[in-house]
Amino acid sequence: MAFGKDNMFNLEKSMTEWRRGMKSAGIKSAALEELENHFREDIERQITAEVTMEQSFVIAVQRLGNPVAVQNEFAKAASLKRSRLQRWKEPFLKFVGIPLADPLVFTVAAQESLQLGGKEALSFHHDFIGTEHVLLGLLELETGVVRGVLQRLGVNPKTVRNEIEKVVGPGATPRPTNELPYTPRVKKALEIAGSEARALKQTQVGAEHIFLGLLREGGGVAAMVLKTLGVNVQTTREEILRELNRKQNSA
Amino acid sequence: MIEKELIAASTEPLVLSLLAKGESYGYELIQEVKRLSGEKVEWTDGMLYPVLHRMEEEGWIKARWVEGDNGRKRKYYSIKKDGQKALQAKREQWTLVSSVLNGLWKGQHV
Repeated sequence: MAFGKDNMFNLEKSMTEWRRGMKSAGIKSAALEELENHFREDIERQITAEVTMEQSFVIAVQRLGNPVAVQNEFAKAASLKRSRLQRWKEPFLKFVGIPLADPLVFTVAAQESLQLGGKEALSFHHDFIGTEHVLLGLLELETGVVRGVLQRLGVNPKTVRNEIEKVVGPGATPRPTNELPYTPRVKKALEIAGSEARALKQTQVGAEHIFLGLLREGGGVAAMVLKTLGVNVQTTREEILRELNRKQNSA
Repeated sequence: MIEKELIAASTEPLVLSLLAKGESYGYELIQEVKRLSGEKVEWTDGMLYPVLHRMEEEGWIKARWVEGDNGRKRKYYSIKKDGQKALQAKREQWTLVSSVLNGLWKGQHV
């Protein structure tokens, strides 16, 4: 019986398959190169008169272990690297003289509006707190600066709610949880709120900064609705400063 | 066969001890441990490499690529000063545990 070429074990073809398998398990190319060199050496050294290349390939695969389990271990090593970098970051920035941003705290009003935002999400039966819920929370707060600012900009809080309800519908079933997560856009907006507060040399993030954060974030439902109603960043910022001055003078 | 947990716990001291004797690479380290343990300590080959990378991150060992005569590239690892210190600390711990066990088992027949 003659052996056709198709019946022969093709190492390079199998290696290509093997690499594909390792990559799909998430193994990065730097680690893969090292593993491949190990793998090839293991195969080469096993081959004898009794052991074929194909058999040694199979044994080498077994010895190397489950690629996903191996990748999990690599991932642990990589996360150690990240946490080490994090540990060095602060002292390094201090050393080169880059000032560290102080962690900012929210004013009581800001905290209350965020809580109201959470309630809005629940009443929409949503399982997340989005920019639209945070915006509604800001408008619900009777004592806040935001309501006054919006009114001076000629926008009725009721209209904002109507516009939001046009864009997002309620969820099908009430969510049992009270601990809803913020969407990435809200997190981004809160970060911007922090830098707005810092820019104004404030030590606390107020509801008005969150409002600016929502507006400047730009891509969320809140920003879309506010833009539709003709609210823009520059005039809002000016109006906020005016409103704060007014409050200070009357106090 | 040695239990999985014990294998895992002994990997770092084994690797550090071997590298303290001189530069080596993954495949060779595995063969050496197999030989020294009379084939009783068997690593899952792939699992050694993440350990090596982690120890490199810790600053215990360093790596360099070396190309052999046959064109095969190998990543050689060698021990650093911090690795020597880590090895010393591990050695004290292992010696203590083993001497306690030996003391308890002296004269006993298992």
